[in-house]
Amino acid sequence: MNLYQPHLVKIDSIIEETHDTRTLKLRFLDPEVAAKFDFRAGQFGEYSVFGAGECTFCIASSPTRKGTIECTFKSVGKATNAMRGLNEGDTMGFRGPYGNSFPLDRMEKASMVFIAGGIGLAPVRCVIWNTLDLRDQFKDVTIVYGARSVADLVYKRELTEWEARKDVKLWQTVDPGGETPEWKHEIGFVPAIVEKAAPKADNAYAVVCGPPIMIKYTLPVLEKLGFPPERIYTTLENRMKCGCGKCGRCNIGPVYVCKDGPVFTAAEMAKLPGEY
Amino acid sequence: MRPGVQRVMKTRSISRENLAALVADLVKGGTDVVAPARASDGKVDYRRVAKFDEITMNGGMPRRSLKEFFLPPTEALFSWKQKQADITLEPVPTTFGPAVVLGARPCDTAGVVVLDKVMGWDFRDELWFGRREATTIVSLACSGVDDSCFCRVVGLSPETEKGADLVLYPADGGFLAQPVTEKGEALISAHSARFVDAPAGDPGKATAGKEKKATAAAAAPATPGGAKSETVLPAGAKAGTAIPAGATAAPASVGTGGIGGPVDLGSVHDWLADHFEHPLWEAIAFRCHGCGACASVCPTCHCFDIVDEPEGVTEGTRRRNWDTCQEGRFTLHASGHNPRAQQNARFRQRVMHKFYIYPEKFGETLCTGCGRCVRDCPGGMDLPEIVAKIAALATKDSVRS
Repeated sequence: MNLYQPHLVKIDSIIEETHDTRTLKLRFLDPEVAAKFDFRAGQFGEYSVFGAGECTFCIASSPTRKGTIECTFKSVGKATNAMRGLNEGDTMGFRGPYGNSFPLDRMEKASMVFIAGGIGLAPVRCVIWNTLDLRDQFKDVTIVYGARSVADLVYKRELTEWEARKDVKLWQTVDPGGETPEWKHEIGFVPAIVEKAAPKADNAYAVVCGPPIMIKYTLPVLEKLGFPPERIYTTLENRMKCGCGKCGRCNIGPVYVCKDGPVFTAAEMAKLPGEY
Repeated sequence: MRPGVQRVMKTRSISRENLAALVADLVKGGTDVVAPARASDGKVDYRRVAKFDEITMNGGMPRRSLKEFFLPPTEALFSWKQKQADITLEPVPTTFGPAVVLGARPCDTAGVVVLDKVMGWDFRDELWFGRREATTIVSLACSGVDDSCFCRVVGLSPETEKGADLVLYPADGGFLAQPVTEKGEALISAHSARFVDAPAGDPGKATAGKEKKATAAAAAPATPGGAKSETVLPAGAKAGTAIPAGATAAPASVGTGGIGGPVDLGSVHDWLADHFEHPLWEAIAFRCHGCGACASVCPTCHCFDIVDEPEGVTEGTRRRNWDTCQEGRFTLHASGHNPRAQQNARFRQRVMHKFYIYPEKFGETLCTGCGRCVRDCPGGMDLPEIVAKIAALATKDSVRS
């Protein structure tokens, strides 16, 4: 067995998030692998359907929840469409974890601000649950989540759960025109809602993930609120094959997304050439 | 290190007849012998040979580099079989039978050791190292092939021992054999009857007193950054790659790629670090067709793809295939977004990876100056010329600042 041969995982359950996005809960077939498997929030893996190939996603579940891992994916390409064709009980491949992670130990006793757009909530959700499962180690927790329309919001049940929690401030928004008559939350783009939510930058970290355009306009807002770029984190993606620094395609300048990332601070990002 | 093996390894010599016998011994003993040999069209390739007569020692640059014996153009990673809902995976072996590469070009052996870095950092590529460990590399000091060779430009030389276990130097009636690693020494000990101690007797790290024998090196003019004539170091060679007494170094003009000599790779690295955006990238990429021929013949280009090849519905093989950053789909996201949508960005990646990114990450230049990319480019791209241009820009910048 070589490092490119995946572990076999079984689909425990499937959650239909939106019309094109699903979450799979996966369990390692080999109990020894399951017992040994560990990862840190922000790390990713290579998921595969045999015959269709591999694809790369961050692990969307929290490392505090042992036994299974979850991935949330949109059906856009060959492998993700094949994944969509799988049923509960079917077998897939997984190898990982790869990459760096969010330095949660450094963030202890700090306030956390999570900002996500669309399916960008998937990698952030991992850190959110990790934080909430260790809730007493952190101060305020603020979540700003937006999608194009109500139908595009992912993790709806968890949004309801977070909304109900007293120790979480949740701001939900949809782009103008994306609301339904029943929608009782914000209407507007994520950066504007971040400005409205105005989380305190004092002893706080921001974790931002979403479409490039959202990140582009959110960073100046955070800066205005007083977040230094060293305390703003995001997670990047690029096309990958090996996931472990060999196949040579995910680099942005001298930085390998698979090895030096996928988690970067805004300060680190500012130094990178715009090739991502 | 085994007892009795000296740290500085003794130079031996081997006659052509004995080298032929050595090949026969190896093949008989079940060792694969890979060497430059004529293909049916008369061109030279590295390939498995059955006897010495097939080998063309120093008979032209093999079309492709040595890397394919460690990273094959396509190789199985594992195969799968499905029965109902059950899937089983069949691993591929990661241990390999013994092999000896004979008569490899120094630029090719250097490429293999450069790639050990990327194959071994953090995660170990068992397929690469399985083959590396099973293989002993015997190189042949080079007297030069053509004007496209540019090993000296990138700090190597036609005699570089980098990546070789044993280096052969042409000598009267045969070769001097200089072991470089224990593996090289072990090959000699296992076939000691084929070798005799070299006439000069002394270990290969020649001293100034012996340089007179390296006549060509002494006669050759010193090149910038290269060695002066009072040492035996061939121009451009790093310290420690001295040639054994009695061997002849290639003339200093060999391996300079038509640009005259080594460039300051440090200043090239620094310039690249600061010039991701520069008019140069658009200017040079006009000639590039994006065919990727350069990457397939390159001893150090190692980018690969991983693809599934189903055989029917219930089984198949996941394979690793060579890939190239010159191809548009290389970085294409499933969303349709492509960070390197244009050829100039892709060619910039090639130059950056070789002279900035890889040195930054691994302390090695991802180019050994074999010149194949120059010879085989349908668009006439000339890597040493581009590197020299960058070195000149770097000098201009430093003068200005």
